[in-house]
Amino acid sequence: MEKMMSKLSENLLDKFSMDFLRNQVLKNAYGNDDTVIAALDPRILIAWYLFFGVVPWFVNDLPFLLASFALVMVTTLLARVAGLVLFLFAVGVFSQTGYLFLVTLLFGGDASAAVPLLVLTLKVATISLASVTVFSGLDPDRLSNGLMWFGCPERLSFSISYAYRMLPMLMEEFQNVLLSYRLRGSAPDYETFVGKVRYLIYQVKIIVESFYPLMLNTAKRSRTTVEALELRGYRYGASNRAVRNIKLSAMRVRYDDLLFLAVSALWMSLAVLGSTLI
Amino acid sequence: MNTMAKPAAPQSQKLMVFVLTMSLYGLATLFTELMPKFQVGLVEFSVEYFLFIPLTLAMLFDPLSAALGAATGELVFSEIMLGQFGGLGELEKFLTVTIGVYIAGRLVSNPGNRVLVGVAAITGTAAQLLMGTVVDIAKVQFAVEDFEAVEGLPESVFATEGFAFCNDLLFSGILFCLLPTLYLVPRLYGKIEPLLGAAPRTPEQGLSRLNPKAWAVCALGFACAVAAEMAATAGMSLVDWEAEWAESGTAMAVGMAAAAALAVLVLLAMKKNQERNLAC
Repeated sequence: MEKMMSKLSENLLDKFSMDFLRNQVLKNAYGNDDTVIAALDPRILIAWYLFFGVVPWFVNDLPFLLASFALVMVTTLLARVAGLVLFLFAVGVFSQTGYLFLVTLLFGGDASAAVPLLVLTLKVATISLASVTVFSGLDPDRLSNGLMWFGCPERLSFSISYAYRMLPMLMEEFQNVLLSYRLRGSAPDYETFVGKVRYLIYQVKIIVESFYPLMLNTAKRSRTTVEALELRGYRYGASNRAVRNIKLSAMRVRYDDLLFLAVSALWMSLAVLGSTLI
Repeated sequence: MNTMAKPAAPQSQKLMVFVLTMSLYGLATLFTELMPKFQVGLVEFSVEYFLFIPLTLAMLFDPLSAALGAATGELVFSEIMLGQFGGLGELEKFLTVTIGVYIAGRLVSNPGNRVLVGVAAITGTAAQLLMGTVVDIAKVQFAVEDFEAVEGLPESVFATEGFAFCNDLLFSGILFCLLPTLYLVPRLYGKIEPLLGAAPRTPEQGLSRLNPKAWAVCALGFACAVAAEMAATAGMSLVDWEAEWAESGTAMAVGMAAAAALAVLVLLAMKKNQERNLAC
């Protein structure tokens, strides 16, 4: 058992190497811009999300919830979301409600506790899958344009575009700094239990220490970024309507977008129909 | 925006601080989101709180920009980029992180004073965690119907949330917020400011102490956070969907379905028409 666990954790650690994480994140951000979902108009998709991100909270009708869950599952499949994100989604849903269920059992609750919790889980799952569809199915630029159209602060859409562009660079730099710190010291032996604890402390310490050079480097970079932005009149342009209109004029609503909305509406009204018949 | 009215340097510096905190804290939360958590018995060793990054920067630079940058970074990098955006619930996290970091940043008038830095770091963390706990408890209480009726559920929620709070504060709070902040702030003090073209913070020219107005704004923000989480519950009684369907019955549902089906058909036809026109 002990051996199995250690092997399992080793396997997990192998999987969770820095490169793996980077690939998954990049794949999630840039890898699927040829899907059905990515081709949709961001405004339509955000409006769609507003429905599936809010309405399930207010509804306690089981057929309706099941139908919306099925729909967002299909759209998530259509968006071809990276595996890691789906895994995190599963873990997230479990840790939010499944774990509460276990503790409820521990405190003497019985299986009747499962029904309200099941409904809660369904709601949480639907809402987060809808957000997975929209936020990782869409290209970051299109997403930020869509958000801007809805009147989100310019800061937010700037942050989204900036984050997606800078992330690969930041991750690489973080990895480089981390590796250079590792090269300088010798890691403690992690055969025994005490060694394992020491190894963990060593790792954490290195991570914290590596933020020292990273902060200085990033400070330099953000100064360059902001100066470049200022040269292009960013702060003036951000609050100017004419600039905004030019930026947003590229978006078009096509028949496909309306069709997507109509099919969703059809499916949900069938669900309502089903629930009234039962 | 009256950007023209204010002197340019502090404004663009605020943007620099915002970008700096956003990218660093965003990167860190991205990793924590992706990393597996260790669990030894009941104690969870999660590297959940890289909160030391915004705490450090808030103590050295403009606290409000750093706080907003941290919250935005978390939102953008770990929620939106990974597609984990939870809608209205994210507002709560956004506000609690902002308030916690802002309080910590405002408390420090002299970053060279280690005791002050330590106290501020742990206060900011505790404030953020406490607000999160209160919201969590309230959320479960309202989201699950018949909360009191389910045996064992109320106690379990209080127990798990209370335990999580203590665990987070004592473990993550000290290890990942207090100690790194104490390590980083004195080291970076005076070194990182010139890189952004700013002057180091000193007691004389520094910020005024937290005044009642700032506290009031923080309290208001927290109220907003709770309200955002509670919106679901309030709506539940206001918009009673189930009852509506039960009364209007099948006829209305059939009507809705028919209308949607018609819309699909019409759109399909129009699309085909358009394609044919393009092909010609």
